[in-house]
Amino acid sequence: MALNDILKHMPSINDAYNDFKACEELSFANLTQNKVLSVPPYCNPVENLAKLQEGNSDVKIHFDHGTTTLGFIYQGGVVMAVDSRATGGQYIGSQSVRKVVEINDLLLGTLAGGAADCTYWYRVLTSECRLYELRNKKKISLAAATKIMNNIIYSYKNSGLSMGMILAGGDMNQVSLYYLDSDGTRTTGKVFSVGSGSIFALGVLDSGYKWDLKDEDAYELGRRSIYHATHRDAYSGGTVRVYHVKKDGWNLISEEDCLNLHRRYQAEKNN
Amino acid sequence: MASERYSFSLTTFSPSGKLVQIEYALNAVSAGASTVGIKASNGIVIATENKQKSLLYDENSVHKIENITDNIGIVYSGMGPDYRLLVRQARKIAQNYYMIYNESIPTSQLVQRIAGVMQEYTQSGGVRPFGVSLLICGMEPSHINNDEMIPLLFQCDPSGAYFAWKATAMGKNSINGKTFLEKRYTEDLELDDAVHIAILTLKEGFEGQMNESNIEVGICDSNGFHRLDPTTIKDYLANIP
Amino acid sequence: MSIMAYNGGCIVAMKGKECVAIATDHRFGIQAQTIATDFEKVFPINKQMYLGLAGLQSDIITVYKRLMFRKNLYEIRENRVMQPERFAAMLSSFLYEHRFGPYFIEPVIAGLDPKTFKPFICNMDLIGCPNMPDDFVVGGTCEEQLFGMCETLWRENMEPDDLFETISQAMLNAFDRDAISGWGATVYIIEKDKTTVKTLKTRMD
Repeated sequence: MALNDILKHMPSINDAYNDFKACEELSFANLTQNKVLSVPPYCNPVENLAKLQEGNSDVKIHFDHGTTTLGFIYQGGVVMAVDSRATGGQYIGSQSVRKVVEINDLLLGTLAGGAADCTYWYRVLTSECRLYELRNKKKISLAAATKIMNNIIYSYKNSGLSMGMILAGGDMNQVSLYYLDSDGTRTTGKVFSVGSGSIFALGVLDSGYKWDLKDEDAYELGRRSIYHATHRDAYSGGTVRVYHVKKDGWNLISEEDCLNLHRRYQAEKNN
Repeated sequence: MASERYSFSLTTFSPSGKLVQIEYALNAVSAGASTVGIKASNGIVIATENKQKSLLYDENSVHKIENITDNIGIVYSGMGPDYRLLVRQARKIAQNYYMIYNESIPTSQLVQRIAGVMQEYTQSGGVRPFGVSLLICGMEPSHINNDEMIPLLFQCDPSGAYFAWKATAMGKNSINGKTFLEKRYTEDLELDDAVHIAILTLKEGFEGQMNESNIEVGICDSNGFHRLDPTTIKDYLANIP
Repeated sequence: MSIMAYNGGCIVAMKGKECVAIATDHRFGIQAQTIATDFEKVFPINKQMYLGLAGLQSDIITVYKRLMFRKNLYEIRENRVMQPERFAAMLSSFLYEHRFGPYFIEPVIAGLDPKTFKPFICNMDLIGCPNMPDDFVVGGTCEEQLFGMCETLWRENMEPDDLFETISQAMLNAFDRDAISGWGATVYIIEKDKTTVKTLKTRMD
């Protein structure tokens, strides 16, 4: 049998070439329009996609939410701390994920929920922020950046995106902190923690949090909160990264393996 | 007789502290066919009379000596039907043990459990004790050294009591038999000699002419337990004056 | 989610030259939440035999107690030490007794024969299908990882020290890829004249 017979129901290369324009607009839409994703191949996506993502669905598109991230604002700016574990079910896929996204010199965001969702939309946000700078000849404010992100996320509400982000940034006058998620939430606040380990992190964070914290104490509070979350939460772990965001930009404060942190905290406990 | 007043129920003690039904059961054993068992250094022999009342009996179809496992043999004095029920039970116990532990039941374990069954029939309502005493023999690996096989010989009574013997006799001529064995038994007996002595013991008080079809002999050695066929018994008998 | 992975945890056992080793992690969790880090899943059965039980914590405790009941009864009745083979057979029939309502555990046995000192390892599924290979057995939530590690690290006729290193590395690197195992580990090296117990320092996340 000739190959052609087997392939007779496939569109020919010629057809594909002719349809290229149409394809680009339909299936490859984000090649030119990065906010436009292809629609699911069935009618009424909002209703039907939700069905697929119900717990009892046989279709395996459940994302794992194993993470611990936190961010809090205090007198010296914002501290953000995250773990670095990626899991697929109970399997540990990576211990070296970078869960803080460096959007630009002033803005940071944390990543929790669907890893692909978060990284993709952060890339979109990064480019939007850069475009804003080029168009307006000034850095974007965090309020504006989060509003862009929120608008995108909201437009995909109920389509199955899974994201929980904490964004922090300075705009020369002040430092601010925002929380966004895939339900369409956008809110500012003083203390946020997102992910499966967040309850553990908040336990430590809330008990040690004060507005008047010194910088070093604030870093340590963030670090310790994440460490305790990695200890209790099976889906958090790896290394703890701590960032400090000030009015004039952010700094990476530390990256420490949980193994070393455990030894240190254990030694402190025993003294 | 005073004791008969308490024999309406086997589970009721007489004032002197006896369970008379058990004593009657022992009487049934004492009246039964002679049985002998001797432990040799490298095996065990058990032997019994198998006299038939009529010439018309087929002597080679129903046996008194049976295998419980490949390594354990059993024989009795007393009532045949009671014996066969115990053999069924014993085989069941042995297979059950094998199923759980994937190992043949040790002889001592089998004896303990059969004794347990026999004891139950002395303390339950609506039953009577077994009218048999059993001789159970088997070889099993030494507890100290796996390669060494130890011969074992046990007697099990209707009361559920059991004894370990070097050599013993039960049934009709048990007293004479034991006296005879006491004279002939030595620690370093070879199995062949033990078979010889067993037959001689049976011959003490054997009524009529002994031949290969009115006695049964079973031997247990490191290859397991088996009943001797009549031709082998005939060979042994040929050496007896 | 599987009930077998509700609490997390893993076991591995290996044969060496005239020795065997068995190792356990320390985690007891409820799904993602780590409740305790001192739950060892390996229990001494007698002087030279250890039993590891992975799976549902409540069943681990129940099965262990019921097995000790049966094993003690055997040893007292028969006045002898139970051989690993006998213990495995007994465990197998015990588990199959609950064929239609099983205990959610995966057992691993490691020991030496009390008389011949021949190494013995064995594992089973939750309804008692025994498996007695010449090299190693694994059980628990990172079974796949353990298989991978053991297949690469195990060699024939390892001396006790070598065996300790191998089983430790296999265990550690396997459960470092499992979210719900780890938080410490204990290794037992069983030899003819002694048993060595070592606790490993591991990642605690």
